[in-house]
Amino acid sequence: MRVGSPRENYLGLRGWVWAGRYDIERYLYSLHRITGLGLVLYLFMHLTVMAIVRGILGEGSYDDVIDFFEHPVFKVGEYAVFAAFVYHGLNGLRLIFQELGFLLGKPKPPIYPFRDSLRRRRPLTLGMMGFVVVLAAFVLTDFAKGGP
Amino acid sequence: MRDTYLWLLQLVTGAIIAVFLAVHMVMMHLDNIVGFFGGHISEPSSWSSMIDRAKEGWWLTFYIIFLALVLYHAIYGLRGIVLEVIPSGRTERVMTGMIWAVGLGAFALGVYASAHLFTR
Amino acid sequence: MDTVKQIRFRIQRYNPEDGAAPRLAEFVVPAPRGMTVLDGLFYIRDNLDSTLAVRSSCRMAICGSCAMLINDFPHLACHTQIAELEADTIEVRPLPNFTIIKDLVVDLTPLFEKHTTTKPYFIRSEVEEMENPTAEFLQTPEDLDAYLQFSYCIKCGLCMAACPTVATDRLFLGPQALAQCYRYCGDSRDDGANERFPTVDREHGMWGCHLAGACSEACPKGVDPALAIQLLKRLRVSRALGLGRKRRPTPLASPPTARQPKLPVPEFTVKVNGKPS
Repeated sequence: MRVGSPRENYLGLRGWVWAGRYDIERYLYSLHRITGLGLVLYLFMHLTVMAIVRGILGEGSYDDVIDFFEHPVFKVGEYAVFAAFVYHGLNGLRLIFQELGFLLGKPKPPIYPFRDSLRRRRPLTLGMMGFVVVLAAFVLTDFAKGGP
Repeated sequence: MRDTYLWLLQLVTGAIIAVFLAVHMVMMHLDNIVGFFGGHISEPSSWSSMIDRAKEGWWLTFYIIFLALVLYHAIYGLRGIVLEVIPSGRTERVMTGMIWAVGLGAFALGVYASAHLFTR
Repeated sequence: MDTVKQIRFRIQRYNPEDGAAPRLAEFVVPAPRGMTVLDGLFYIRDNLDSTLAVRSSCRMAICGSCAMLINDFPHLACHTQIAELEADTIEVRPLPNFTIIKDLVVDLTPLFEKHTTTKPYFIRSEVEEMENPTAEFLQTPEDLDAYLQFSYCIKCGLCMAACPTVATDRLFLGPQALAQCYRYCGDSRDDGANERFPTVDREHGMWGCHLAGACSEACPKGVDPALAIQLLKRLRVSRALGLGRKRRPTPLASPPTARQPKLPVPEFTVKVNGKPS
């Protein structure tokens, strides 16, 4: 008997960026992960800077650090953090309900062409995304005007 | 059984953080919205403003609870991702150890820094 | 009017005997209207390259054998018309998230093993009845609707190929196993939820699902495994928190007590030409 070598075929982390021609909900999952990781990264930087500068270094360094972060590059980053939070939070609220089995509808005997529960709830998802876009745009105007 | 409760706590902390973080962001950056609600904070990110807040009991409580919630939510999320990408029994044990270390460490640092300012 | 289009098939080939990296092979197939992708693969195997390895059986979307990645989306080849793909080039690859044995044939053993671990059979306390059944268990139409959709699973593996968690976590049970777990836990005749929970109440069980919904999108039978898994989570949470009504499994149908009384009309036989036929 000839022995062949089977080949691994996992999609892996590549699937977070492009997995195939799936609907938007599949990529909302990817974006939820990516914004989550981005927020965690920001969180640990923020906590470190704040704890060290406020708690340990004191007033002079604090004001210097705050002024350092007023540079436009950091302002863009700050807006990105805000946008990530708006998306992650609102999509998360939708996930809280749907992962507990609410807001998904009841099981229906499948009749072709099939529409599964997430597709049937597409209006809810689009409404949530619309709210995200509106909030992000509203705050963008605030940032663009020179910000706080 | 334990996994169910850990997951539920992720949902609860997520919902509360949505509110707390919105408050934090609005307060730090959107003075006009704060003005709309009748409050008045000038230059919330300046040292003097920050010290005033650090000395108020309410703000201290808010920040400490906020820190605990955020650390739980962030670390549970990271744990899920790591266990998914590197699935093995050993990963679970290593992760659990690191989680307690990083989580408690960060929380302790935050509480220390806040208490330090509160008692200045 | 039967227009025959010349369709270019680009098929991922892999030969386990030489172990070289998989590569795409091109074939041109004359495709009249109504031809499915599986028909195209048969044409290639019959006329162009007889070494092509393809799994298929029923060719009518009920056995689940011909699952593969067609133009970047998991389809059953027999269930996919070439015309519906609206492309002149069709790229056919083996199902992702399973090891490739040869060409388009993948190893589905993990699918079946994970399915078995979720105990996909009725579990009740009446052990004698389970071994030697005497009657049926009663069930209302509402009880049936609660799980019927999830019972249509043909175990094709398309949902496992679509799931982003299966793509990264090889210990994850996958949408098929979890949805079938709910098919039994949510069935009013079953009493085995507590036995199944240890297997599915883990990070590599139902808590690894984050509602990407790709499984339900890919399912060729409309089973909606994503909904089944969220309902399983709801069941687990309500049991863990002690909420919701405690549902007792439905009882056995009682045996018929007496024959139905005869109808009050006389017995009659059909007569043909004056004589009983």
